Amino acid sequence: MKQRRVWIGGGIGVAAALVVGLLAGGASGEALPESVSYCLNCHDDKQLSLTLKDRSVMSLYVNSREFAQSVHGSQLICTDCHARYDQNHPSGATFPSKRAYVIAAYETCKKCHFDTYTRTLESVHYELLKGGLDAAPVCTDCHGAHNIQNPHAKRAMVSRSCATCHVKVYEKYARSVHGKALVDEGNQDVPACAGCHTHHQIQQPGTTRFRLSSPDICIRCHGDQRLMSKYGISTTVAETYLADFHGVTASLTRSASPAHQQVVVTCVDCHGAHDIASPRLKGKEAMKAAAAATCAKCHKGASPDFPAAWLSHYEPSLRHAPLVFLVDLFYKIFIPFVVIGLVLHVLLHVYRMSAGR
Amino acid sequence: MRDVETSEYVVRFSFWARFQHAAIILLFGLLLLTGMPQKWPYAEASRWVIEHLGGIFVTRWLHRAAGIAFSCLLVAHLAIAIAGVLSRRMQPSMLLSRKDFRDAIDNLRYYVGYAESPPPFGRFDYRQKFEYWGLIFGALIMALSGFILYFPILLSRVLPAELIPAAKVMHSAEAMLAFLIVLIWHMAGAHLTPESFPMDTSIFTGKIRKDKLRREHPLEYEDLFGKR
Repeated sequence: MKQRRVWIGGGIGVAAALVVGLLAGGASGEALPESVSYCLNCHDDKQLSLTLKDRSVMSLYVNSREFAQSVHGSQLICTDCHARYDQNHPSGATFPSKRAYVIAAYETCKKCHFDTYTRTLESVHYELLKGGLDAAPVCTDCHGAHNIQNPHAKRAMVSRSCATCHVKVYEKYARSVHGKALVDEGNQDVPACAGCHTHHQIQQPGTTRFRLSSPDICIRCHGDQRLMSKYGISTTVAETYLADFHGVTASLTRSASPAHQQVVVTCVDCHGAHDIASPRLKGKEAMKAAAAATCAKCHKGASPDFPAAWLSHYEPSLRHAPLVFLVDLFYKIFIPFVVIGLVLHVLLHVYRMSAGR
Repeated sequence: MRDVETSEYVVRFSFWARFQHAAIILLFGLLLLTGMPQKWPYAEASRWVIEHLGGIFVTRWLHRAAGIAFSCLLVAHLAIAIAGVLSRRMQPSMLLSRKDFRDAIDNLRYYVGYAESPPPFGRFDYRQKFEYWGLIFGALIMALSGFILYFPILLSRVLPAELIPAAKVMHSAEAMLAFLIVLIWHMAGAHLTPESFPMDTSIFTGKIRKDKLRREHPLEYEDLFGKR
């Protein structure tokens, strides 16, 4: 009994110490390591700046509060990234422009994030950078530098960074059914930019290959029964497209060489890409008109009735496509009927031939 | 007499009939090979076949080419058969008669032990006639639905476009039925059956052994050689 009281007392003591420690930690959230404070002696000054070779002025101010609150605030010190300024600092204006500095400085990220960095090397943005377009984004353009936040927790923030360059596309997206849910409601299920275009290995979306594989992007969510049931959306949209002639073509040719690829209709042609609206809100007539316009793009000379060949993701039933439903039903009954009859006949024949002799 | 009959042969099939049978084996086989992977395009085996044929476009092209050839064969067959029967150069031996239905019932009675012997069959028995007409109607359905799928835009100008997905279901299901009938009824019934095992060669050689003809087609035998 005595021993137990000691235990409890000890427990309370430890808990109290923890609470005090946490409170202290919370209060001193901006207390930075000594080496960081040393740099901030100068760099916490908003006036601190540097004139580069192109005569532009680059601010050298670091917001200590922002850095402390960033994901790296409690993990890194200045010289982890700014290694070259270890000695002989300040070093003077060695960079031709601010952009040139940024492009040189982002390379430091790969010291820790090497896998991510190598993925960016296969992206369309790196292609542009390599081709001499300085404006092509590097790590810090999307993630920030001293103020880096956890990108998984702040999805809308990453998408807004895309908007820095892709303004019109972002505006379209922000008005779409996905964009509205993310921006207005903070919905975490809908895709932000990176949800479809990936984060680092972003591909050129104008190619046929990207187009042919685009249904996979939609199906990742729209084929997920648990996710879709949250919103009352049927997953048959994916199955019906994949079972269709065009869905088969897209699926089976996307890994082929460009010469063997053929542009076929995919999800985005009727539903839009960045400006996707809810078909329920758009209404049946508007969706039918969209389908008709899409068919007409390739199928010249088709009748106005031609889009009826596509069952608009409906499974055939007496209400939707009764003819298709009845043909299917007929064979579902007829095939087993014929097959069972024939098997019985063959078996009876064999039985009589062997037993009758 | 019997010993002579086991070594004597009677001509049973013309070159045209044998040619058609061989062409159907080739075309039906090619249509199945290129069609089944399109029915189940996401199956591993289908992917393998499509890849080895040279991709989905080649597979579809082969399927259409074989389909056109098969349709031509069907038209030629019907034209020659109708012309032959009308000009009395061919016997309408495939036409169904009331006897065939009676034979079917009598034969089933024999199978279950209610009759001592099977009914005497003519040049073609009811099983062969059933398969023949199944093939003719099946081929008509396949050709018709196939051409709807081949020229959907043309169809939509004259008929409701809902026929296109209906034709797809029909083409796919009828093909399945045809495949199963060939597998069960034709392979098991005509070749693997005890009296012909392992196979009935007459459609390939054009000849039938005299004793086999007497056993399996007694009425035709009587027509040719008179009653014994």
